[in-house]
Amino acid sequence: MVAIETLEHQRRQVPTTCGPWEAVVCPKRTGICGSDMHILLGHTADPKTGFKSFVLGHESSGIVAKVGDRVTSLRPGDRVALEPGEACLRCDDCKSGHYAQCEFMRFAAAGLDGTLQGYYTLPADLCYKLPDNLSLEEGALMEPLAVAVNAVATVAAMRPTANVAVFGAGPVGLLTMAVARALGARRVIAIDVQQGRLDFARAYAATDVHLASPLQEGESREDYSKRHAEIIKHKFGLSERGPSGIDLVLDCSGAEVCIQTGLWLVKRRGKYVQVGNSEVYINVPLRIVMMREINIKGSFRYGPGTYHMAIDLVSRGVIDLKPLLTHRFSFRDADKAFGTTKAGKGPDDRMAIKVISACGVALRSASNS
Amino acid sequence: MNGVNHCCVMTKINTLVMEDRAAPPGPGPYDVVVVPKMTGLCGSDMHVFLEGRAGESLFSDPLVLGHECAGVVAQVGSNVKTLKVGDRVALEPGAACLRCENCKSGDYNQCGDFKFAAADGFDGTLQGYYTLPADIAYKLPDNVSLAEGALMEPLAVAVMSVSKVAKIGHNQNVAIFGAGPVGLLTMAVAKALGARRILAIDVNASRLEFAKQYVGAETHLAIPMNPGEAREDYSKRHGKYIMEKFGLGERGLEAIDLVVECSGAEVCVQTGIWLVKRRGKFVQVGAGPAHNLIPMSIFVNKEVTMIGSLRYGPGCYPMAIDLVSRGLVDLKPLHTHTFPFKDAILAFETTKKAMGPDGKPAIKVMIEGPI
Repeated sequence: MVAIETLEHQRRQVPTTCGPWEAVVCPKRTGICGSDMHILLGHTADPKTGFKSFVLGHESSGIVAKVGDRVTSLRPGDRVALEPGEACLRCDDCKSGHYAQCEFMRFAAAGLDGTLQGYYTLPADLCYKLPDNLSLEEGALMEPLAVAVNAVATVAAMRPTANVAVFGAGPVGLLTMAVARALGARRVIAIDVQQGRLDFARAYAATDVHLASPLQEGESREDYSKRHAEIIKHKFGLSERGPSGIDLVLDCSGAEVCIQTGLWLVKRRGKYVQVGNSEVYINVPLRIVMMREINIKGSFRYGPGTYHMAIDLVSRGVIDLKPLLTHRFSFRDADKAFGTTKAGKGPDDRMAIKVISACGVALRSASNS
Repeated sequence: MNGVNHCCVMTKINTLVMEDRAAPPGPGPYDVVVVPKMTGLCGSDMHVFLEGRAGESLFSDPLVLGHECAGVVAQVGSNVKTLKVGDRVALEPGAACLRCENCKSGDYNQCGDFKFAAADGFDGTLQGYYTLPADIAYKLPDNVSLAEGALMEPLAVAVMSVSKVAKIGHNQNVAIFGAGPVGLLTMAVAKALGARRILAIDVNASRLEFAKQYVGAETHLAIPMNPGEAREDYSKRHGKYIMEKFGLGERGLEAIDLVVECSGAEVCVQTGIWLVKRRGKFVQVGAGPAHNLIPMSIFVNKEVTMIGSLRYGPGCYPMAIDLVSRGLVDLKPLHTHTFPFKDAILAFETTKKAMGPDGKPAIKVMIEGPI
């Protein structure tokens, strides 16, 4: 990325060495996500510092080209999913098991060049071997799937038989629903503003779907959200307490009315997990949080064990990633991949969920694995 | 580093040899070289010294012992920003790999590649220089001495068991088996973290007297076994005896919420399960024989939670240092004997006999560094 909304192909040096604990990987498939769009469109640019060009891409899989001297877990030729954030390992957050909070985190495409290049160097322990029954494309989806695993398994610590509501049926929301189902949720209710996404969600992982009710004329957001939660409860026979209540709400939209509605919807003493990127400040019904003893937690990226679980759930067939892979582009057409993600549909006019860019060195085989 | 490294080396069982070695190379980018100033001796050192092993940790010739240490930073690696030369630090004597799932999950003490000082070929702190990662060399505040710094290692063990593993609740009654240094420090941490009643149990009356003076513990000298009595029967009888003596029930406000077992003795493990309240917690710190017979049906019926506690983890040393610095734990009474480096063998003998050449009972014996 050389300027806002401007991508350019460049030739750079091939890395010939890597550190003792690192691996050099040839990225093969990279998924494009909402945060990539934010970066490309300049939403995250700091107006004070000048723009410095860098490589995008952080949802990737590839093939190991080289490993450092101390690496025993990987060999050249291994197919791996890549975790794109390098933590320091030595600070209190890292040693306490919360490396996502590391003060010295270096994250791909955010200060560090990302994976849309021919070679990518990273710690070997952040390269997760793909079982034979997983394709490289599925490997690229491990990053957003790890986000979902982190939210549902680690942060929410969802118990089997929970009733779950997910706001936002984009890729992260869909994967969150898939993880909830895989880990034994009783009901997974998807809420979105787009019927197309909801149709997909119902076929994919949701047990129930709800198209957001319209705001009434002159209605404030707060009143709407309270009313909307009642509509949803009534529609699905949900209660405020007990086994028919919503035990867990995950917001994967970042939209204020979803956050508000979710807090009204979750049952007393239930859990609410914020996954989606919202505005910094959101207006919430805090007194309801207090009275109903709602537990609100933030979920950021991924943590220990999440990639392992993500790979295992797909490998065992408990989660199916293939329906999410709607569009593919060659490396040369990477800009079209971004264009499709931005438009929400491809040049074929089909709804886009996850767009994959092949990357780096040309493929030798025609297959997608 | 220039100069010579004076080392106290164990060459075979019960044998120490003073040896000069080359000073260590400069520290790696994330490491520091420390000059050890005080090293305390503990039970596991004695097991290695006298028997060649302490649990899973093995002696092989040659081995520098010592792992409870504080010293002064002599050299810092190129990426070290938290410490400078001259800083007084308490040392955490074991390095984890940082990259495995255990390490990244916050459980570095369970790292498969853990390198613990003074065992399995890794030299300890009874030498002139000791190199370790900077993030496990903890700066001592001005009001904490180097001798207190050397006691941070066993204190961190106590912080781990009470704070992290037991997660001691508010206003709880705690029973501790074994009033040696680890047991005493466990009592001190329990008190510092708000325990309501602290009950110390031991077979040694003078240790119990010390516990009473040190933390105001209620004390119980283990009753004798009857001739021909089976251990299981003794422990059941002992558990009930203790409950009656101290007005303890299986439930309610006057019940033992938490047992911390610091002796490793089978009868203490058994008695502890009889003693702890229904739904109570039992933390095993003491390293005893591999197999113990336990009253399992009682364990099930009372829904006891038993958890093992190994050494220390993230946050233990900082909490230990902070408790001492703020005056909530006093380490000075535990430090009974100090020997110069050249008399290290006397320190081992004192620890073994639990009594110094001065005739005073020994609790924590320390050896000064050679420099």
